Amino acid sequence: MSARGQVVFKDIWKKHGEFVALKNVNFEIEPGEFFALLGPSGSGKSTTLRILAGLDAPTAGQVFIDGKDVTGADAAERDVAMVFQSYALYPHMTVAENISFPLEMAKMPKAEIAPAVFDAARKVKIEHLLDRRPGQLSGGQQQRCALARAIVRKARLFLLDEPLSNLDAKLRLETRVELKKLQRSLGMTAVYVTHDQEEAMTLADRMAVFMAGEIQQIGTPEEVFAKPNSIDIAGFIGNPPMNLVQAKYQDGDVFLGGHKFETTMQAAGSRDVVAGIRPGAIRLGGDGLQSRVDLVEHLGDTAVLDLDIGGALMRVRVSDENVPKEGDTVAITARPQDIHLFDSQTRMRLS
Amino acid sequence: MKRLRTILLLAITVVFLLAWAFPIVWSVLNSLKTDKDALAYPPKLLFEPTLDAYRDVLFGSGSILPNLLSSMIISLGTTIVTMVLAIPAAYALARLRFRGKKFTGFYVLATQMLPPVGIIIPYYIVLRNIGWIDTYQGIILIYLSFSLPFAIWLLVSYFEDIPYEMEEAAYLDGASRLRTLWRIIIPQVRGGIAVTVVFVFLNAWNEFLFAVVLSGNTVRPVTIAMFNFVSVEQTLWAKLAAVSVLAMLPVVILGIVAQKHIVKGLTVGAVKGGGRR
Ligand SMILES: Nc1ncnc2c1ncn2[C@@H]1O[C@H](COP(=O)(O)OP(=O)(O)O)[C@@H](O)[C@H]1O
Ligand SMILES: [Mg+2]
Repeated sequence: MSARGQVVFKDIWKKHGEFVALKNVNFEIEPGEFFALLGPSGSGKSTTLRILAGLDAPTAGQVFIDGKDVTGADAAERDVAMVFQSYALYPHMTVAENISFPLEMAKMPKAEIAPAVFDAARKVKIEHLLDRRPGQLSGGQQQRCALARAIVRKARLFLLDEPLSNLDAKLRLETRVELKKLQRSLGMTAVYVTHDQEEAMTLADRMAVFMAGEIQQIGTPEEVFAKPNSIDIAGFIGNPPMNLVQAKYQDGDVFLGGHKFETTMQAAGSRDVVAGIRPGAIRLGGDGLQSRVDLVEHLGDTAVLDLDIGGALMRVRVSDENVPKEGDTVAITARPQDIHLFDSQTRMRLS
Repeated sequence: MKRLRTILLLAITVVFLLAWAFPIVWSVLNSLKTDKDALAYPPKLLFEPTLDAYRDVLFGSGSILPNLLSSMIISLGTTIVTMVLAIPAAYALARLRFRGKKFTGFYVLATQMLPPVGIIIPYYIVLRNIGWIDTYQGIILIYLSFSLPFAIWLLVSYFEDIPYEMEEAAYLDGASRLRTLWRIIIPQVRGGIAVTVVFVFLNAWNEFLFAVVLSGNTVRPVTIAMFNFVSVEQTLWAKLAAVSVLAMLPVVILGIVAQKHIVKGLTVGAVKGGGRR
């Protein structure tokens, strides 16, 4: 038996009248992978997930699940499970009835249903709540109930649309970890929609980054973090996000606030670029660009400085030991491999 | 201050309650009198109660039992057909987005406001032409023309309250559309369905004007048959009161059975109704 849960999106377009919600979306997901769809709100992530689930039809293109073209197939035929942002629990049924519903629909023998329901509930730690109704559960418990309903049936795909966004910050972090463990232990393919880059970075094996209906980059979190494909992605990923400033490129160097920084680019000639440097990649001291400290934000073991570099803002993350004071002047440097160059017209990566 | 308000509210409630209860109390009291006692002036408050009137109207000559049955057939028939058609229609209407959706709501209300006398003659002619005067199907058909739009309009707001995502969740869980409707949607609009059933049933049960014109000797609901006890020479008050009480009975029973749903359904509907687009 071959592994289940492979997905191919081929040349998918989605239009709402004149409005183009998805522009030629292509990606492949391997069985067992945790795949995140990341992007700002309105970028087309949910649309993509809904097309995969069969809740919406694409305007053009094909969807394959485990090698089979399911483009025209109904949601019920696709054998995929989904956790909605609103959880969409059935309010008139108990937790146990909610979880057993997909099994009933799959015509599982009655005797097998109860143990399967209990097992799924135990995996998400709500086995003591089986007799309650959704209205009698806390937000976190409802979320778990929705998870249990999705995992109880061994579906081909496990789809999640911002499943943690209705939880408070602490619970969100805890659940995130458990979710990852759960997916690993079940070996299910997960497709996870989120606008929270940190969530995608910590959970995903690979991710597709959406911008305005297009996928701008697909890769592991490390790849996307290390080499963002565009200015938009660079500014979206990382906390605080990458510093992006207009600069002049000339023969392998880039000039920021009148100071020369070496880059890894070799091309000769001169042009306008956008230079990006991650806050954590900037070092203080040495023979660098002189800049004034405008603001210091203490975050515990690190601090973030707002620097003024000749009118532009540059944010720097430093360890908490040697934090300058507001009003101080500091010199900053960066290694060539930490300087990202983007075309200021196309907004795409150059280096 | 607060005390005064409470007392005032209580007083108003009592006044309204009395105004509503008076005809019912009057009917019950008179139904237990003899026809002679019922006519007495000033009204006798102390009298020897008797079930004679009930015995006469139920088992005497000109028993109204067949008429009660007639009413029941018409009302149940109207209710069942209405609900079977209105539930899927309301569901579809709640889900579909089409131009002129707002207008359908207005249209439904308009049918309810139409003065019945204006359409009674056309209805009569239509029924006569198809030979359905004085038949159950004829009366039920006419009642449907009012109850169906009303029931649909009432039910739509309940269906609209159910998020579409819940339905999508059911599809993903492997349920067909019909099964989703049956297992997921309808159980959640039970309150609304109960309210609608009560309204439709009561309207059919209480209807008089159309029944007078469109019924005959075969189909003769109790609202019409009551007038057997009113004639030019005399009115048999005790018997008339007894029939009234009997005719009220199903209404009261229905009210008690569905009370919980009605109160909930009405308040939910009312709140929603205020905020609807
Ligand atoms: N039925 C629709 N009609 C018109 N526009 C829509 C419809 N559904 C979604 N859109 C638009 O498509 C874009 C992508 O939506 P969505 O996929 O939900 O974004 P997100 O990435 O936040 O999940 C949004 O701009 C949204 O307004
Ligand atoms: Mg979304």
